[in-house]
Amino acid sequence: MIPAATRYARASDLDHALELLGEPEAKVIAGGQSLIPVMKLRVARPSLVVDISQLDLRGVREEGDVLRLGPLTTWAEVAAAEAFERPALAAIQECALGIGDLQVRNRGTVGGSLVHADPASDMPAVLLALRAQLRLRARDAERDVAVADFLRGPFLTDLGEQELVADIAIPIPPEGSGSAYVSVEHPASGFALAGAAALVGPDGETVALTGVGATPFVLPAGAVRDAISRSEIFGDRFASEEYRRELAAVVAARALDAARQRAKENS
Amino acid sequence: MSDTLIGVARPRIDAPEKVTGATRFAADGYVHGLLHARPVLATDAHARIRGIDSEDALAIPGVVAVLAAADLPIASVGTDRTSEPLAREEVVFAGQPVALVIAESEAAAEDGAEAVVVDYEQLPSVVDVEAAMEVGAPLARAVEETDDEAGDLESIHAGVDHGQEDDPSEELSGNVLDRITRDRGDVEAAFAASAAIVEGTFRTPWVYQAYLEPQVCTAWLEPSGTLVVSTSTQGSFVTQRELARAFDLPLERVRVIAEPLGGAFGGKFALVEPLAVGAALALKRPVRLVFTRSEDFAATNPASAQVTHLKIGARADGTLSGIEARMIVDRGSNAGWGVEGITSLLVAGPYNWEAHDIRGYGVQTNRFTFGAYRAPGAPTAAFALESLLDELATELGLDPIELRVKNAVVEGDIGVSGNPFPVIGVREVLERIREHPLWATRSSLPENEGIGFAAGHWPGGLEPAAAVCRVNSDGTMTVVTSAADMSGVNTGFAVIAAAAFGLSPDDVRVVTSDTSSGPYAGGSGGSKVTYTVGAAVLRAAEAARQKVLAAASQELEIATDDLEVVDGEVRAVGAPDRSVTVRELAQKALRFGGIYEPIEGHGGSAQTSGAPSVAAHLSHVRVDRETGQVELLRHVIAQDVGRALNPALVEGQMRGGATQGIGWALFEELDHDEDGRLLTGSFLDYALPTAERVPEIETLIVEVPAPDGPFGAKGIGEAPVVGAPAAVANAVAAATGQRMYELPMTPPRVWKALRA
Repeated sequence: MIPAATRYARASDLDHALELLGEPEAKVIAGGQSLIPVMKLRVARPSLVVDISQLDLRGVREEGDVLRLGPLTTWAEVAAAEAFERPALAAIQECALGIGDLQVRNRGTVGGSLVHADPASDMPAVLLALRAQLRLRARDAERDVAVADFLRGPFLTDLGEQELVADIAIPIPPEGSGSAYVSVEHPASGFALAGAAALVGPDGETVALTGVGATPFVLPAGAVRDAISRSEIFGDRFASEEYRRELAAVVAARALDAARQRAKENS
Repeated sequence: MSDTLIGVARPRIDAPEKVTGATRFAADGYVHGLLHARPVLATDAHARIRGIDSEDALAIPGVVAVLAAADLPIASVGTDRTSEPLAREEVVFAGQPVALVIAESEAAAEDGAEAVVVDYEQLPSVVDVEAAMEVGAPLARAVEETDDEAGDLESIHAGVDHGQEDDPSEELSGNVLDRITRDRGDVEAAFAASAAIVEGTFRTPWVYQAYLEPQVCTAWLEPSGTLVVSTSTQGSFVTQRELARAFDLPLERVRVIAEPLGGAFGGKFALVEPLAVGAALALKRPVRLVFTRSEDFAATNPASAQVTHLKIGARADGTLSGIEARMIVDRGSNAGWGVEGITSLLVAGPYNWEAHDIRGYGVQTNRFTFGAYRAPGAPTAAFALESLLDELATELGLDPIELRVKNAVVEGDIGVSGNPFPVIGVREVLERIREHPLWATRSSLPENEGIGFAAGHWPGGLEPAAAVCRVNSDGTMTVVTSAADMSGVNTGFAVIAAAAFGLSPDDVRVVTSDTSSGPYAGGSGGSKVTYTVGAAVLRAAEAARQKVLAAASQELEIATDDLEVVDGEVRAVGAPDRSVTVRELAQKALRFGGIYEPIEGHGGSAQTSGAPSVAAHLSHVRVDRETGQVELLRHVIAQDVGRALNPALVEGQMRGGATQGIGWALFEELDHDEDGRLLTGSFLDYALPTAERVPEIETLIVEVPAPDGPFGAKGIGEAPVVGAPAAVANAVAAATGQRMYELPMTPPRVWKALRA
């Protein structure tokens, strides 16, 4: 639980950060809530830690029908952001407030969690349900990728070694929409044993699950229980596959109920 | 003696320095030339060490040495953790320390520990305690060694006899290290005469003490040759004895300093000290070892897993008839002692039985080293008994509390130990909790909610102790003991001394001395410190009071019988204007050419009668049938504390104990895979009862004074944990109709039980 020796550099801006990332064994640190634990376990032993916490990639702003969320925004800031105070986006605040404890929410960032890609982290399910897009920046390139395509597997993403998440774009759902996030947490880690984000609106109903498979995923359309019974669900020491499948169905149903209620209030 | 100071809530005297971060714990002290140790822990549960390759580790800059068992100057034989702090040739649990890397910095030592390569030959491991008992099971420890000297640690926790000798007719494997039989009367006849009989098998896991401060020790040799050990321990004298024995040192050459404790709960009795000491003696340089949390999970001494088969019966009128128990205690690698003695005593509860047949088995496996944890063996026993008493009450159509009241022991009743109970407040506590309004609401709750009741007791420990009270030249008093300040006992000593002497508690300072100069005290454990060391403080303060009365008598020319000490002043009884302050007298004593003897008193105690404490709980839960989650809505605890010297601290102990009991009930479990590797070795996997999951705990103090306790006080630290798991289990049963037989009652377990 004592990390191996490493060098540290603080990036002054995005270009500087990308330049520092030119070093092959460099790793990015933002809030440190994912990297520091794996460094203490010596699972990660970067030669250089690139601190991007001072970059101007923080906060939420509204641009037409899209909300742009800076990847360095902490969970505490997400939970307090006025921009999310609407029934259609209630899932975001609900989810942010349930993450970790106060100390984790004060340090941990949305972007850090997304690129760490823990299969049981909460927010990816919400961003999937809301059809969010990520803007990725490399030294001389930029591309947009849907969260659904970004998440490749457990701790595995589409992010290149010399790329950073620059922006998270969340389409504002139409009038009459409501969203919700419901999870059952592991009593120790607080990670979701099963978490479900639901978006209900004029365009239909979407449910995304986390904590139950290799990566958070959007449930295929149709009856929730049927869809879950066809999904690949994993079991572990604490929660068997059978139990987790049942939990998935329970949280999905509860999230849908709450989202429908909010959609009703919003129309 | 003024007892108006007793029973007043006051903050802990160490609170300001604790909350401002000023306390120096054992890892904080500066030591010149300090080296840092990092352990290499076994990865296999059972293996033979073929060799340890330290070449790469020694090549790392800053690494000074790699020490294996043979490098430590240990003289004692045996397999206890004092005699064998590093595995010799046989590893007996995953997590057992096998080598120490010593370096100039902690980081270099960690790099070194990573580079050490241990060559293991795997041996068959024994992980399941019931399978371990069967004839033909592989032995958890192949090399048999015994050390008759080991076992000094057993006596610390509770003065428990060992029952009768074992039953030779039962054939069991060599893993069964200890068998205990407690029987009286004809149990079969008692069952035959019963109107109802219930039985069940109850399982509880290994549970971690989860103290905030991991195990830590610093050791160095003084130029004079004295070994100094600055450590986080519950017992300085027991650690001194253990170290002198292990390293064959004269006792007076070992000075153990018990630094302020960052939590212990039974887990800190000479466990890591032999590692730091062995390295310091081997290298002749100061060495500090601080376990990381992961190491503390893997390599220390948590509470035993236990399997309890229990059968009880009662006559139609609710009179308890027979109790039959077979209790299997997983000692892991601890060959010295286990809780089978205590748990087989406590499974009968504070109740009378017509006949009993109780067997306890201490079984070695390849899991941890068993150690003490708050009321060792008691929550597991009460979980089984109090669950079945509820079932029995249901069968008989009786109120569950009434069933307990009817059978409650009183002073003089003979327990399963064969000895009479001392003064014990079972009825008082049961009546108090029965009157609580929450109990009356149990039949009018919403669906899936339930209220459970359970009780439990702890016999209390005994050990002679001494204390010194010294009046300083400014009129304040210093109390000196060697009892580690655990659970606020020093704050209790201050009020005992103040009340016995006649001054304000604000003018009393308490010093925890070390083994080189402090008066004797046993380890802080077994709920015995206030009862025994507190009694010594009382007598020391009374002795100091006699000194101040003698000086005042001379000063005022009034007979001592006509004087009293009130708030730091000695006055003539009935004529308070004829007085002299304690300060003035002290100044006339403590100076060149002074005229009075220093105002100091020494006091000792050797209590012979135990002072058991009883606690009862009401737990109100809501169960989510779809997910199996149990939400605790409300919890009430009533406890007989003898006399609450400081109600704020007493309530703190009651809440803390109940909370740890809730941890047993719902969250805590150290689990291994089938090869004996730890699966829940971090706080990412091991759940605790956190603030957000535990509701406010309501406390009801019941006072049935202990005849020999200071101002009637008794030890109270352990009783509050005992009945809590059973109360939650009974609440879950009330909410769902489903009896839970295994702790913790996690969501998957409850969900599965509800679907069965």
